[in-house]
Amino acid sequence: MSTVTIHLWDGFVRGFHWLLVLVFAGLWYTGGNIDYIDQHHQLGLVMLALVLTRIIWGFIGSQPARFTTFMQSPFAIFRYFRRPTQHEYLTHNPAGAYMVVIMLGLLLAQAISGLFTDDAIFFRGPLAQYVSNDTVRALTRYHKQAFDFILIAIALHLVAVAIYTILKKKLIKPMITGKKEVASAAVANAPAQRHGGWGFLILVVNLAWIFYFLS
Amino acid sequence: MRLITTLTAAALTIGLATFAAPALSSAFTKAEDAVEYRQGAFKLIRENFGYMSGMVRGEIDFDADQFKQRSKALVHLSNIPFDAFTGAGENATNNSDALPAIWQNWSDFESKRDAFQSAAVELAEAAESGNIRDIRPKFMATARTCQQCHEGYRAD
Repeated sequence: MSTVTIHLWDGFVRGFHWLLVLVFAGLWYTGGNIDYIDQHHQLGLVMLALVLTRIIWGFIGSQPARFTTFMQSPFAIFRYFRRPTQHEYLTHNPAGAYMVVIMLGLLLAQAISGLFTDDAIFFRGPLAQYVSNDTVRALTRYHKQAFDFILIAIALHLVAVAIYTILKKKLIKPMITGKKEVASAAVANAPAQRHGGWGFLILVVNLAWIFYFLS
Repeated sequence: MRLITTLTAAALTIGLATFAAPALSSAFTKAEDAVEYRQGAFKLIRENFGYMSGMVRGEIDFDADQFKQRSKALVHLSNIPFDAFTGAGENATNNSDALPAIWQNWSDFESKRDAFQSAAVELAEAAESGNIRDIRPKFMATARTCQQCHEGYRAD
């Protein structure tokens, strides 16, 4: 079967993905340690900007980055697990697609809840003053407990990537180079691209207002 | 006669002391009051400490006199809540974030209390210097004693 290399992930999707890894690592390291609470706060704002920008990019970005490209009915997940190899998926398989949305949702909820936290020592999130103490308490508890769900989601993600790698399906390389080898028959459907620079521009705008209002 | 008076007085004193002893171990007769008392104290500690953190973390301008006053207040406040964990406050966890682990590991809880109280004293001593560079490490050391005790003894 002849193959051809197409451009799949634009620069923003790739930059976003690896920045997310770095920022997440930083948040994990600084979280729950009173000595690094201010750094945790700042990194959380970066996380918020990253996730918001990725969601925007999921509507107006390159074709492969759009939610409409890879989201299917939840029933597609069952069909996928019954016959995982029936279809070739250019972007995400149905289960992976839901994983993307769940991951973005968890990270967004984590970043937003963090803005309302009170550590009962000296840190108060920038939005804690606008809600009742009960709400602050509930969101602080959520912020601590939901972290485990994020770790589980990441673990599942890594396991899935490992399985794909064992099955000789390349996932990691396209997320680095942006290029993916596909059957030449699929070239007619090569996805429309938008320059990743636009994504980074939106990211900078988001960083600007988020840091202005919430640092 | 004199002997009898003395003996009676002594007996009364001992009797009263014995009777009064349980009440003296804690000022509280109701768990609810003990919980409110220690929560009130911790609230004052939290707000006081939060105010100082504003100066330490550069959110508000450093004012050496203000900081000195606040750090002295903290030394006093740090002694207040812990009596309310004994007596009627013992095992009082209703409407409270205090975890039962406190009374299961009482000596550890006491040593964490002591760590907090001596850190507060050291912070107040550093505040006398009026130098934020001396204050900062002592402030963070105090904050760590808060966290070390909340970890395991305070509900999320």
